[in-house]
Amino acid sequence: MLRPDINDMLTQTGPGTPMGLLFRRYWQPVLHTDELPEDGCPPVRVKILSERLIAVRTPEGEYGLMDEFCAHRGVSMFFARVESGGIRCPYHGWKYNADGQAIEVPSELNNSEFCKNVKLRSYPLVKVGDLLWAYLGDPEKQPPLPTWEFATVPSGQTFTSKRLQESNWLQALEGGIDSSHVTWLHGGGPTGTGLEADPLFAGAKGNQYNKGDLKPSFEVVENEGGLLIGARRNAEEGHYYWRVTPWVLPNFTMVPPRGDHPVHGHFWVPIDDENCWAWSFDYHPTRDLTEAEVSAMKAGAGVHSKNIPGTYRPEANKDNDYLINREKQKTGELFSGVEGIAIQDSSLQESMGPTVDRTKERLVATDAGIIKARQKLRRVVEALRDHGTEPMGNVPEHQQIRSVAIVLPADQPFVEGIGDGFEAREGVRQTTV
Amino acid sequence: MTTPISVSACARAATTEEAAYRIDYPLAYARSTRVVAFDETAEKSVRSVSDGPWGQAQFYTTSDSGEELVTLKGEGRPMVMEIEHSDSVIMVATNSIVSTAVATVGAACRERSIMTAGLLLLDAGPLGGDALSAIRPYARILLVPADEDDLFQLLKAIRA
Repeated sequence: MLRPDINDMLTQTGPGTPMGLLFRRYWQPVLHTDELPEDGCPPVRVKILSERLIAVRTPEGEYGLMDEFCAHRGVSMFFARVESGGIRCPYHGWKYNADGQAIEVPSELNNSEFCKNVKLRSYPLVKVGDLLWAYLGDPEKQPPLPTWEFATVPSGQTFTSKRLQESNWLQALEGGIDSSHVTWLHGGGPTGTGLEADPLFAGAKGNQYNKGDLKPSFEVVENEGGLLIGARRNAEEGHYYWRVTPWVLPNFTMVPPRGDHPVHGHFWVPIDDENCWAWSFDYHPTRDLTEAEVSAMKAGAGVHSKNIPGTYRPEANKDNDYLINREKQKTGELFSGVEGIAIQDSSLQESMGPTVDRTKERLVATDAGIIKARQKLRRVVEALRDHGTEPMGNVPEHQQIRSVAIVLPADQPFVEGIGDGFEAREGVRQTTV
Repeated sequence: MTTPISVSACARAATTEEAAYRIDYPLAYARSTRVVAFDETAEKSVRSVSDGPWGQAQFYTTSDSGEELVTLKGEGRPMVMEIEHSDSVIMVATNSIVSTAVATVGAACRERSIMTAGLLLLDAGPLGGDALSAIRPYARILLVPADEDDLFQLLKAIRA
């Protein structure tokens, strides 16, 4: 349960809000490089943290991210012409460079100084891996470029997809750290085939442990960049099977691996207070993804979704009740009746309403991961707002992290037993069962 | 394919306007919670948090054997009687934990299907300490390390 004012504080990310201030201390993924595929390509609208922006790639290859609307009459620069050195508003010909600086205002006299005083607010937009990342905060506080392993391995080893989620970002994040729902929603409960039916999960020994113990216990451990949430199940005599989910502030989570399948994870990026982007990645630290794996990801398997062509909205969405199949739900073939892990999550998280009223919750002790994450977010937000304390998670050492699946002796702390298995290390395989 | 046929269908309710029609009524306290401090340092935190606006939560220390829970006013009561009608027990400890007491209370909770949570306070020391080994088998959820505010937030979240 959260008080309404705390719920507002954690869910609202627009300019001037406390949580918005926190998000503006981090690089966030905003576009796939395919969305600005070549020099001089058409500009793309971007909405993030309740700011409407336009992303450009000039004929010279320079990326830019700026206020969507022309300073003159408020025309959307989506309609701009891309020209050498920038973009030009088609209404009266005002031209801006990639930094949003006006460089031509045709109506003004030659040699006029007018341009110098016209600048669209702009933010740095950089390519790291297959994604374009933006930083919307104070330039003097700009952190180092993102170093997440999924974005820095060779491109053949990684795949990232993007899905519109029609809910507040915190609902999506809480799903990412809520390990207790996996057994039911994705695992199929006592009777379902669950994860074994998905080509990106099937065949892992860990799946047997999952099925063998439907009531996992949990340990929530503080970590430098956020939290480690360990789900523990019975394994062989005297041993536990651990699945450990890292959360790095404010909105990065990873799914513990299964067998030699690629490792998955997410960024939950606020579009506005009622929508977010679910960025979903799969990568393997030591090998290329196979054609079969990439095909499965593109088809919406694993943590990915099958989207309406030309959009990032899933084909199964709230307007068609996520294509729920009551017959499969009844037989147990699909526990929730909804196909695919991503849509199983989004169907339920969106059904809570755009921003769930957390005063009406009835949490239980196994929700402690969520409770702890909210508390940590609140502390960090208030420390930044009230004292200017820099948050964790925006430096490379906090981003070099992996999820882990492992079997350990029953009396061993999982942090100690896993050791450097949490660290992203070049050429070293993930720790997995 | 199924399509929503009325404005009250789940899909239609996923808008701000429709979400506002969710029935509004006060929720009862959901939990009858017992909070048990297993050592002196933990007791300080439990005592401090006990002043909060709780509904049915009750706060205790314990005897070394765990057979007796002691109210914060110093009144000893049989542990099994005190937990009999609870549905969650929160065990709070540091590294000076008495393993026997934890095992006794933990086993009693398990026998009665009472949900257990464990909080190892900041003073718990190394994660490999005896406290973790003692409390892990009995805690369905464990926070490591935790502090007083974690206890407060946990109790608040579960409407204790």
